Amino acid sequence: MSKHLTVGVLALQGAFHEHIKLLTQASASFAIDGDVRWRFVEVRTPVELDACNALIIPGGESTTVSLVAARTGLLEPLRDFVKAKRRPTWGTCAGLILLAESANKTKKGGQELIGGLDVRVNRNYFGRQTESFEAPLDLAFLQKARTDVESSETTRPFNGIFIRAPAVERLLPSVPGEQKGEAAVEGTVIAPSKGPTTPVNQVEIMATIPGRSNALRAKLEALRLEDEAGDIVAVRQGNVFGTSFHPELTKDARIHFWWLKSVMEAVDAGQDSLDISSAI
Amino acid sequence: MTSSKPSASTNDPTKFTIKSGLAKMLKGGVIMDVINAEQARIAEEAGACAVMALERVPADIRAQGGVARMSDPHMIKEIMDTVTIPVMAKARIGHFVECQILEALGVDYIDESEVLTPADTVHHVEKHPFKVPFVCGCRNLGEALRRIDEGAAMIRTKGEAGTGDVVEAVKHIRTVSSEINRASGMSDMELRVFAKELNAPFHLLKETAEQGRLPVVNFAAGGVATPADAALMMQLGCDGVFVGSGIFKSGDATKRARAIVEAVTHFRDPKILAEVSSGIGEAMVGLNVEKMPNGERLAGRGW
Repeated sequence: MSKHLTVGVLALQGAFHEHIKLLTQASASFAIDGDVRWRFVEVRTPVELDACNALIIPGGESTTVSLVAARTGLLEPLRDFVKAKRRPTWGTCAGLILLAESANKTKKGGQELIGGLDVRVNRNYFGRQTESFEAPLDLAFLQKARTDVESSETTRPFNGIFIRAPAVERLLPSVPGEQKGEAAVEGTVIAPSKGPTTPVNQVEIMATIPGRSNALRAKLEALRLEDEAGDIVAVRQGNVFGTSFHPELTKDARIHFWWLKSVMEAVDAGQDSLDISSAI
Repeated sequence: MTSSKPSASTNDPTKFTIKSGLAKMLKGGVIMDVINAEQARIAEEAGACAVMALERVPADIRAQGGVARMSDPHMIKEIMDTVTIPVMAKARIGHFVECQILEALGVDYIDESEVLTPADTVHHVEKHPFKVPFVCGCRNLGEALRRIDEGAAMIRTKGEAGTGDVVEAVKHIRTVSSEINRASGMSDMELRVFAKELNAPFHLLKETAEQGRLPVVNFAAGGVATPADAALMMQLGCDGVFVGSGIFKSGDATKRARAIVEAVTHFRDPKILAEVSSGIGEAMVGLNVEKMPNGERLAGRGW
C-alpha cells in the first residue's frame, strides 16, 4: 500500500513555481522506494493549506506575502500549521523571514511574522540587489541524506544564491510563546504566541557562509548586533527549516530531496496531526 | 553543475542567475509607479512587491509633453530610504549614462523605458556589463529576444502607458504567446528561418521554444487600471503586473492598490475578483488608444 503525502507551496507571491518543479524532480528519486506518492500543490487559501502534510514558503517579497496572507485570513491558519500542529515547513529567503520569531530592518510600522524558529532574522542583512551574490556552500546535512549514490554527489558544494538576502543574526532561547525579550529590542518585530506551550527543540545551525570578502565583512561587522551568529544562512528547529538562499533558483534538487525525506520521517514519527488517509 | 544553466545569458552566467533571480522573486506581484516617498509607502502597505520611482507617471508625461528623462536622484534615494521593497527606476532608451547613474545610486532594477523620451533611435543600452539588472519592454517575441540578447533579465509586454486602456497590453501578450507556440513546434531548420523573420538570435529562440515560454520573467505593463485588467493579464500568461498611472490617478489609490495586489494573487478565482473589485472608487478616466494618433503612442518606441 502506498502512502499519499501532500506538500503545499505557499503561492501568494514569489517563486512558488520553481519550488514545485524541484520538488517534482526530487520526488522522482523516491520512485525506487515505491511506498510514497507525493502530491505538490499551490496554496492560496486556508482550505488548501489544511490538506497539506508539509509546506514550503518560497522566496518573494516578505511584506507582500505577509500582507496578502493577513488580508485573506491565511495568517492565523499558517501560524496554526507551523506552531501548533508543528507540520514540517521550510522557508527560503522571504520564507525564512516569515518563519522567524523575531525580525529587524522591516518596513516602517513593522510586519507580521508567522514564527516557528526561535531566531532573530536581519531582513536585509546582505544589502540591496547590487550586493546579491552566489557562494558555494558546504552542507553537511546533505551527506547524511543518501548513501546509495556516489560520494561526489553528496559532498560537492551547493550553489547558494543570495538575492537581497536575510541572515540569522541571533539564536534565541527556545521558549514557549512569544519572544518577549526581543519585543523590547528597538526596531524589532516578533511573532505572536500560538501553542504548544511546551518548549520545542533547540535551534540547530545548518549552514554558515565562510570566506566572505574582507570589504564586505567589515561592512557586515558594522551592521552586526550580535557576534555569535554572523553569517548563519540555514537553521532548523524541530520540523521547521529555513534557508536565506534560494535552492529553487538552481537545478540541484538535493536539498529538496533531503527535506522530503525529513517530511516522511516526521509523518512516520507521528509528529504530524493530519490524518494521512484523509489527505488523499 | 549545481547552478542553473547560463540560460538567456551570453556573457556572464553567474551574474545573470542573480539578475534574473530577483525577477523570479517578484513573480505573482504588482510593481507600482510612485512619484514620491509618500506614494511609495502607500504602495508598500498595499502589498506591492516593488516600486518604480519616477517623476511623472505616464498619464502626466502624456498630458504635459516635453522631454521625459531619468528622475532626480535625490527623489529616487528618498524612496529607497523609505521602503524596504525593491526600488526600480527608469532610464531613457539608449541612455547608458543615466543607467550608470542609477547603478551608482544602488537601485535594484533599471527599466530602459519607452515611456521616457528615447535618447538613441538606433541602439539600446548594452546591459550585460552592468551589475544592476534591467527590465525592457516588448511588443512581440523578436523584440523581447533582442532585449534579452542585450542583457535584459526581465521583460514586460508593453501596453499603451498612461491610457488606462488595456487593449494594447492584451494585443502584445497574445502576439508573444502565439509566436512562442509557433516556435515550439519547429525543427532547428525552421527555427533558423523563424529567427530571421523575427530578427532574433537563434540560440534564444531555441531556448524559448524548448521552454515554451520566454526565458526570463515577463510582466504586463501599460494600460492596467482595474483588478480585472490585472487578472486578465495574469490569465493570459504574464508572471506579474506593472501598474503605472492606474493607481495614483484613480479615486482611491490605497483601496485600488490593495485590490490589484489581491487580484494578481487570486487571478483565477472570480469570486475573490468580484469581492476585491467592489467599492474601490473611480478608476482613472482613461484615454481610448484606438482614437490616438500614432505619433502619440509610446509602445512603438524600441528597435
